[in-house]
Amino acid sequence: MDISILGGPILGIIPLGDIVLYFTPFNLFMFAAALAFTALIAISSTESQVEAEFGTLKNREVKVDKAEFKLRRFLAIVCGLATAGAMVTGDLFDFTLFVTLIGIVNIGIVAAVKEIDVLDAAFQYGLIAMIGTLPLFGGAALVLAATGTISLLQIVQIPYTTSLMAFGSILFFLGVAGETGVAPFFATKAEMFRTPGSPFLLIIHLSSLLVIVRTIEILLIINKPF
Amino acid sequence: MKLGRIWNTLANPKRIPRFYSVIVGLVLIAGFIVPMAYDNHQLYPRPTPQLQIDEQDPFAPYDRGGAPLTEPGIVKSQYPQFAAKQGYVTGYLSPISILVSNTTLYFGTSIYSSPGGLIDEILYYSRGFDTVLESSILMMAFVVASWVALNFTMKRKED
Repeated sequence: MDISILGGPILGIIPLGDIVLYFTPFNLFMFAAALAFTALIAISSTESQVEAEFGTLKNREVKVDKAEFKLRRFLAIVCGLATAGAMVTGDLFDFTLFVTLIGIVNIGIVAAVKEIDVLDAAFQYGLIAMIGTLPLFGGAALVLAATGTISLLQIVQIPYTTSLMAFGSILFFLGVAGETGVAPFFATKAEMFRTPGSPFLLIIHLSSLLVIVRTIEILLIINKPF
Repeated sequence: MKLGRIWNTLANPKRIPRFYSVIVGLVLIAGFIVPMAYDNHQLYPRPTPQLQIDEQDPFAPYDRGGAPLTEPGIVKSQYPQFAAKQGYVTGYLSPISILVSNTTLYFGTSIYSSPGGLIDEILYYSRGFDTVLESSILMMAFVVASWVALNFTMKRKED
């Protein structure tokens, strides 16, 4: 499976030693989408929610205080930048590191809420992210052992697929699912308890979506089913 | 059991880690029957185990040879054209490292070997971006942990 079939012609590369970032129209679009959303988040402020009180005709305004707001904005920006980096990286191990960074930062976004129920959900998410590092890095290591290289531009030139490569990519997919794939679930469960929502939560959903799409591209590059 | 019931049972943050670890465990067990066919041309090769130790090399198992800035040591990379100066600082030893490596045969596994002793070029040069990312992951983990510890963990019982 050629990269040009999946993403279009390679427009350029950024060589950082062995780690080569490459740009195709497909990757460039996702990179630009992640960066544009990050820019929107950097300039936005939290929404304050108005709740109707029971029994009276008054309204109650629920706001997020400034310290919480600042930390969540910072973590959301880091998450957006990591997502943008994961979209263009041409190295499997580099991709796993970007995914781990997204996972850690997602835990922070979910955990930086002063509600005990949300903290409990964040604890469970932290557990799953820690378990997820085993299949994530194990899968990348198995692909390295089976192919001898972790550069996607080299893996794509290998004409055959061994069963160890397929098994490594299954583990890799499980790892990505554990690190960022389940994040929207926990964010949504937490959001039910957390009425003063904010735009920062959306970066979890966006990063999870983009990372899953990119993971599928990488799995197609490794396994060459067509 | 109906499918809707199963989804509702799963939609509980406490059950998801268990469900996930059961799946990971099953896949790992299935991995025992996958034939382990490794590629023989590895990108980052290692010398045969115990080879350098049997040669009484004080830098074992990390001896890559080379003289600093004059003769490159043995460091392989995927794209040699993007790492032109590779191997030139691998052989660098700080004065303390030289002293220690002259007195003991176990310098390579001692704490003197890093930093300032045997500089790992794979880590800091040809794959240096990975090191940047790893430190960022660690920094973010500390940011989150310290913020949580400062803001709620102490006060949890008061809530």
